[in-house]
This record gives sequence, structure tokens and C-alpha cells, in this order.
Amino acid sequence: MTTVTLERPQIELGRGDGGMPARQAVVRWAWRLFRREWRQQLLVLLLIVVAVAATFVGATVAVNTRLPANEGFGKAQDLAILQGASAGGKGPVASTPSRLRAEIAAIQHRFGTVDVIENETISIPGSIDTYNIRAQDPNGAFGQPMLSLLSGHYPVGPDQVALTSGLASTLGLHLGDVWHQGGQSREVVGIVQNPQSLLDEFALVAPGQVTQPSSVTVLFDAHGFNVAKLGANFESIASVAAAQSNAINPTTILLSLVTIGMLLIALVAVGGFTVLAQRRLRSIGMLGAVGATDKNIKLVVRANGVIVGVVGALIGVVLGFVIWLAYRPHLETSSHHLFGVFALPWGVIGASVLLAVIATYFAASRPAKAMTRVPIVAALAGRPAPPRQVHRSAIPGLVILVIGFFLLGVAGGGQNGGGAGFLVIGLVLVVVAVILLSPLALSLLARLSHRGPIAGRLAVRDLARYRARSGSALSAISIGVLIAVVICIVAAARYGNVLDYAGPNLANNQLIVYTPNSFNGPGPLPTAEQMAAAARSAESIGAGLGTHDVVELQLASAQLIHAARGRNFSGQLYVATPQLLRAFGISQSSIDPSADVLSMRPGFSSISDMQLVYGNFGNKGGPPPGNGPPTQFPCPKGSCLANPVIQEVAALPSGTSAPNTLVTEHAIRTLGLESSVSTQGWLIQADQPLTASQISGARLTASQAGMTIETKNDQPDSSVIINWATVFGFVLALGILAMTIGLIRSETASDLRILTATGASSYTRRTLTGVTAGALGLLGAVVGTIAGYVATIGFLRTNSLNGLSSLSSVPVKNLLVILIGIPLVAFVGGWLLAGREPPAIAHQPLE
Amino acid sequence: MSFLELRQVSKTYGTGANEVHALREVNLAVDAGALVAVMGPSGSGKSTLLTIAGSLEDPTDGQVHIGGIDLSGMSRDDKARLRRRSVGYVFQDFNLLPGLTAVENVSLPLELDGLAARKAKAAGLAALEELGLADRADHYPDQLSGGERQRVAIARAVVGDRRLLMADEPSGALDSENGEAVMRLVLAACRRGVAAVVVTHDAQLASWADRVVFIRDGRIVDQTTAAVGPDALLARSPNQ
Repeated sequence: MTTVTLERPQIELGRGDGGMPARQAVVRWAWRLFRREWRQQLLVLLLIVVAVAATFVGATVAVNTRLPANEGFGKAQDLAILQGASAGGKGPVASTPSRLRAEIAAIQHRFGTVDVIENETISIPGSIDTYNIRAQDPNGAFGQPMLSLLSGHYPVGPDQVALTSGLASTLGLHLGDVWHQGGQSREVVGIVQNPQSLLDEFALVAPGQVTQPSSVTVLFDAHGFNVAKLGANFESIASVAAAQSNAINPTTILLSLVTIGMLLIALVAVGGFTVLAQRRLRSIGMLGAVGATDKNIKLVVRANGVIVGVVGALIGVVLGFVIWLAYRPHLETSSHHLFGVFALPWGVIGASVLLAVIATYFAASRPAKAMTRVPIVAALAGRPAPPRQVHRSAIPGLVILVIGFFLLGVAGGGQNGGGAGFLVIGLVLVVVAVILLSPLALSLLARLSHRGPIAGRLAVRDLARYRARSGSALSAISIGVLIAVVICIVAAARYGNVLDYAGPNLANNQLIVYTPNSFNGPGPLPTAEQMAAAARSAESIGAGLGTHDVVELQLASAQLIHAARGRNFSGQLYVATPQLLRAFGISQSSIDPSADVLSMRPGFSSISDMQLVYGNFGNKGGPPPGNGPPTQFPCPKGSCLANPVIQEVAALPSGTSAPNTLVTEHAIRTLGLESSVSTQGWLIQADQPLTASQISGARLTASQAGMTIETKNDQPDSSVIINWATVFGFVLALGILAMTIGLIRSETASDLRILTATGASSYTRRTLTGVTAGALGLLGAVVGTIAGYVATIGFLRTNSLNGLSSLSSVPVKNLLVILIGIPLVAFVGGWLLAGREPPAIAHQPLE
Repeated sequence: MSFLELRQVSKTYGTGANEVHALREVNLAVDAGALVAVMGPSGSGKSTLLTIAGSLEDPTDGQVHIGGIDLSGMSRDDKARLRRRSVGYVFQDFNLLPGLTAVENVSLPLELDGLAARKAKAAGLAALEELGLADRADHYPDQLSGGERQRVAIARAVVGDRRLLMADEPSGALDSENGEAVMRLVLAACRRGVAAVVVTHDAQLASWADRVVFIRDGRIVDQTTAAVGPDALLARSPNQ
């Protein structure tokens, strides 16, 4: 065999690191790996998708629910409202038609193009409601956004009119019908609406057809001139926008929440990306062997993070948009104005996408850096980097926790939402404190486990040894639990407040019919005939619902006042009539003869500093102006009864609008309030939950009698909020555990093999993994719960509405589910899934 | 002039009672175009010799020169650059990157060195074509047979005018037919001027080498200058 020796020039090393082609190659590989292994990053992906979609929908709803800033202005920057003679001369500028024309001409002369909208207010026959006959040019310079055509065409002559659908329905008119009004006949040629206010009911006529306008709106553009100087009837869109602006608005709050949410996701993602990087260790080693620099290797892991962030965010945006498309019609109906499909808060959406990408980028940075520390030879052999000893002081975490606690106190003491900024910063600091203190919690647990059996002792010790990994997992679990616990505590505190009672207004089989407003206003009292007619209508509604359970609800001039700091009594104080008590199966004999108030609110009878005010102070119309109810305790006799006798009666209904608290007939007699008793409405209880058609029929019957109805609203039950929060914390904690437990155990795979070689059975392996998962779950639950209580106490200790006493409502069941359920399920899950020896990373196949 | 030269190279792992001497004062020179086989029992230091010679690890003592450049003064990035331009590796278990096709695996070192993807791919295709794998260029590693994967790994190791080929048990995961085919490719690369170091347990495959180096307890205990065949090699075992 011969050896061929070629003369070759010496190697000349360039100075470049591969530049763009190298980065492209590395990113391409990261993308391919993401496509192959996206299932292993599903939790992070899902969290990002949910966070971005929720931000998309929440921000879009928040922005569009508000009235548009240009409502009433159309495309104009300024407007003037001129009162016509038919307005009765009440306005600031009541004018004759000729004077109106002169004023419009003056505005036009000064500011140029104007768009004039004339309105004449007309009463609907047989009703106290009104509508406008409106003369507006559909092609006007500024008013177009306030007018749109649903069907037909716009009126073009004096004998044509277009109606809003509501008015057409009220008047019983359709396209092609002839409308007779004010001695004039007009053909209905179109159905129109004001997209900026769907409550705006009007009849549109051609410009110039309103001869006696009640008011005239002149739209124009003053080009920056402050039109407020011209009079109170001039307004600019800028001044309206300035009045509506508020730094603490739903968008700001949402952005703060999404920032905290992304921080949590980043913590979860650190564990996920670390697991993934370890799985790819041999490939990354090979990448280094063929000449990839540290930068290239970091880029692989970071690119994966960014890809997860981008893909998750894009899916979130698409999902959010789909939800928005489905929800938009409902929102338009409930907010009474239209908005475009793409009327989206692009800034907030963009920020949430950016936050998702930043969160995943930084989450991937830590494992990326760790990968470059693994020697290539060790990486090729699949040996992960040895655990790093972490010695962190508790002091920074404790200091930040104290600062957060203090700031939450400032937020709790803030008035009118002024403390919202402190609230967000305080919460963020508590989260940071949890991150800093979590590794120390692992050390403490390890110290406590000296006497346990070998498998348990080893598992807990490994958690402490490998806390560079387990610390971030514990932080993420703790923060998830923290969020859940705070929601549980706050919801329990709020819903547990017996004074300012919160919750669903009625049961789903209940309906209240209220007497016409005119019955309770300052005018004359309703006659017996009117009351009888209203009662008959209520009976009729009850019959329509298939029930005769119609209970009259009476009010007296009496109110409950809590003469102490904190929340006050909320709700109606109905009269405990025999009929009402019977309706709920309460016998007269069960009522304390000396009781002044009956209530189903648990703990209400033990509230101190209560007083029953009556007469002028308890008037249904409110106390005399400038003379509020007495706040000192005990209150002066003659208008107030201090410490009324309150009896708790569990059988009364619990809805906030239902008669859950009653003043007894004994109190009515004792306080001489018999003459003030009047009917407020009727409570109707059906045998079955009310259907939508039943509610619609009841509403129609009530409106024909001038009455209104109330049915169960969408306010959630406290248990719904608390249970969902618990589920959130539970699922998140277990998801994080599922992602990280494999990593932590795989790092100790060699220990496991040694154990197996020395005779340890699958019982030991199961115990090891089970205890690892259970201990991490237990610590996360404990740290999260403690942090949740610290945050809540920090806020409530200075809060004037909800003091620390509100924490007496403890969601025991849910906290137990978190504190016991999470570690238990984690242990059982770990036990069940760890029967086989986990494949060591070194043995993972490579192509 | 030797393309690869190890001078008094020693490698020690651990400290104190845990100290392990993987290599002790090893001297080795490999000329351009030469194929050197390294043989020895398990734990003798063969793989350590290969990783140090290929700049994947630093020696505790001694010097490594590749193409006349002393590696001891080089940064990590400089060594990475040296590997992608001059050193190719072939491993027993192929170590192709999942997610990249055969041609992308081959052209990866070129792309990492800054060559545009299109040109790198063309070079990769040419390398695969030389090894008879042009029709498998767009297949992913898990779609290739063991022999094909190792041929792709060899193509990646020699692409772009690499001058040093390091192979650690390149035929360890292959049957004898494929193992011989792999050695034939390595030898063909040497005939084009590539210096190659092959670690193997297989005496028959070592017989393909221009020189066989025996290593034991971290020391080179013997070396042949011209192998005459596997039977002769066995007869010349250092134990005898």
C-alpha cells in the first residue's frame, strides 16, 4: 500500500462566524425540529395561544364596547347644536327658522363646509316615548358614519321617508307602505340605522323637509380652533376624547395582565425548553462537531423559543379573530352601536404577540446558554451538564416581597382606582419574590426530609441538588397557584360580604315584574284601578309562565345602614308580608315576634353597628338633599333604630334582587311606617327554568302594561368563579409538573440505574418519581397559597371597602383541593407513569 | 510534512483520587493522504485520542497541530471554524441531524462557514453523487438504511475539501459488507489527499490502513508502518 502525500498550503482561518448563511441554516434546522417535535412543546404553545387569544378578544371587546369617540360627530371634528323654536326655547340658543338659517350661514362662513342635520321630536301615539323626524343628506360631508341603509333606498323627495327598523316595527310599517304623519303622507322607501347608536330611532326624510326643527346639529371642521369659546352648544371631538381618556383603562389593565401572564408562561417555558434542549443534546453536540460556534448553538435553542412564540401567537391571533367574528354581532346588540370587523386594537394585539415572542425568547435563552457549557464530547455522548450548586440569599426575595406587600397596601388604600398602578407593580413584585424564594423552599424541604425512606429522601434531595431546573418549575407552579388562590380568596371575600351582597340576581325559574316607574316617582300615587291593572298584568305574565306563584313585593320607607367603615348594605328591604313568607314555606310561628329584619344572608345577624333608618332617611326616593342618613352610632331616635333585631331565615331566596332581606310587619307597626308601604312589583316563580321565549313573551306583556321585568342575569355564582380558578391552578401546576418531572428524573438517570443494579425494584423507581412530583406539587401549592394570602392581605389591610375581616370567608374546600389535591395527583401520576426505567438520554437514538 | 501532529499529548480526567490518565505523552503524526488506524482495548484512550486530535477536547498537556497550526492558542470559535473547514467526523452511530435531509446534512458545514445555501447544496449534492447517493439526497436520515446513513456521514466529513477525517468505529453499526464499503470510501478520500484517523476494533478493517497504531492505558505501545492484512495484524498483537 502506498501513501500519497499531497503538498497543500497551510490552513488559513478566516475571521467570520458563517454570517447569514450559517444563521439561516441553524434557524432552518430549528424550524424543522419544531415541526417534528411540536407535541413536546404543546403546553407552552397552548398557554401562548390562550393568552394571546384572550388578549385579542378582551381588548377588542373592551375597545369596541365603549361608544365611538366620534359618536355624534361623524367625520367632523366639531359640531354645534342649535335649538329650534319647537324645542320650546329651552336650549341655549332657541331660534326661529330664519335665525337658525343665519347661524348656520355664519358657521359656514367662518369654517367652510358644514353638514346640517335637522331633527323634529315627535311622540309615539299612545306612548311617552318619542322619536325624531330627521332631515339629513346621506351624502353629506361629515354625517355619513351616522347613517346607513339596511334595505330600500334613501328618501329623495318630500313624499318619501326611510325608517329605523325599531320605529317601523313600532308604527307597524313596512317598505312600500304609506306613513301618515302630521297631515302628510310619505311612502316608506327604506330601512336605515345610525351605526354609532342603534338606540337612535328616527324617520329619515330628504334634506329641507323638516320645517319646524326641535334641534339642528351642524357638523364642521374648525381646523384646530377651540370652538368651546363660541358657546356651550359648540363641542369639539378632541375635548370629548380628552374627557373620556383615563390612564387606567381596560386596555392598560389588560396589557398589565398579559405581561404577568407572559412572565408565567416564560417560567413554564424555561422548563419546557430545557427538557427539549436536553433531548437534542447529541444533535447539538454533532452540530458543534461539524463546526458550529457557540453563537450558532445558542441560536438553535433561541430560534426554537422564538418559533414557539411566533407560532403560538399567530394561532392565538387567528383563534381570537374567529372568536371575535362569532361574538361581534352579540356585542353590537348589547353595546347598541356597530363596529367594523377590523375595528381591532392593533397596538394591544401587536404588544401581546411581541410579549409572547419576547417571553419565549428569554425562556429559551437560559437553556441555550447551558447548552454551550456542555463539552462537545459530553454532548455527543448524551451526558447533560452536571448540576450547578445554587447558593442564593433569601434577602433579595424577602426585600422584594416586603416592597410588593407595601405597594399593594398603597393600592388598597387608593381611591377611585387611583391605586391600580401600584396594584400591578405590587403583584409583579410578589411574583418576582416567589421566583427568587422558590429555590430556597426546595432547600428547606430537603433539610426536613432527612429521616424519610431512601427513595423519598433521594427524590427530595435531588430536587434541592438540581434546583437550577426544579427552581424554575417550582416558581411556575407557585405563580399558577398564586393566581388561582388570589382569585379564590378575593371572590370568597367579595361574595361572602353579607352587607354588599353579590351574586346572581335571581334563580333561573324566577322573574320579577316591576310596577311602572311613574308609580314610584315624585308624581301622584297610582290609583287603585292602576294598581289593580298592574296586578292583573303580573298575574297574566305568571299564567303565561304556567304558574300562579305570584308574590307581591312591597317596600316601606325603611333602609338598613351599616354605621361603620367598610361596605354598606345593598339590596332592597322588602316587607315580610304573610303571603311572601308563605311563598317560601316560612311559618309565622318560626319568626321571632321581636325581630325587625329577616334575612337569608349567613352571618348577617352578627353584624354590629347596624341601624334601620326610616321616615325621610329611609325614603324610597332617597334621603333629603344635602342631609344624608346618620352615620354616628347609635343613631338619633325618631328616624332610626339602632341595632335592629335581625333573624336569619335560610328559607328566603338568595338572589341579590330577590327578597333576601325583609323588614317585618312588627317593625313596620312599631316604627309607624304603615302608610309608606307600597307595591314595588311581583315575584313570579315557575316550576321550571324560564325559556328564552317565555322571557320574551313576559317582556312583551310587561311592556304593553308599561312595566318592566327582571330575570336571571349572567352574574356568575361565587362557586363558579372559585371552582374555575381552582381548576386553572390545578391544571397548570400538573401541566408544568408533567413537563419538568421527566427532565429532573432524567438528570438522575444514572442514580436510578445504580439503584436498580443494587436491587431496587420498580417500587423504588415509582416512589422516586412519585415523591419528586408530589414534593414539587406540594411546595408549589404551599408557596403559591402563602404568596396569594400575602398579596391579598397586603391589599386588603388598607382597603376601606374590604378590610382584613373579609378574609374570614375562606374557600376551605378549594384551598384543600389545591394544597392536598395537587401533590396527591402529582404523586399518583408520577407513581403510575414511572414503572419502567426511564430511558437515559445517552441512549436516545440519533439518525 | 505531517498534516496532523500530536506532540507529548496527555489527558487527565478528574483530580486527586478520581484522577484518570486517558492519554500519556502520546506522539502521533499523520501525513496528508495517509490512513492511520488506531486499535486497542476498551478504555485504552482511543476515542480520547481522536477527540483531542480533532479539537473536540483540549489536552491537559502537549500540543496538537493541524495543518501546521497549534490548537493550544485557539479560541472555541476558532476551533469551530477549523473543524468546519478542515476536520470531518464519522461516528459509529452516524450522528446525522434529524430534521435535515441527506444533502442538507452534508452541506451543513459549508453553510455554517458562510457559503450560500444554494452553493452549499450544490457542493453537498456533488459529494453525495461521488458516494452514489445522489438519488437519496432529499431523504431524511430516518428514511435511509444504516449503510446509506454512514455514507452520508462520510460525505459530510469530506465535503468542502476537508483535509482531516476522524472516524470513530465507522463500521461498528454496520454489517461486514457495508463496513468494508465504508472503509473503501475512507481510503478513497485518503487517495485524494485527506489525512484520516480511524478508530476500530476490527482488525480486518484496520488492515486497510497505511499504518496501525496500538494504544493501551493511554500510551502508544506499537505501530505498524505497512499493514499486510488482517491475519498478519493479529499475529503481531502486542501481547505476543
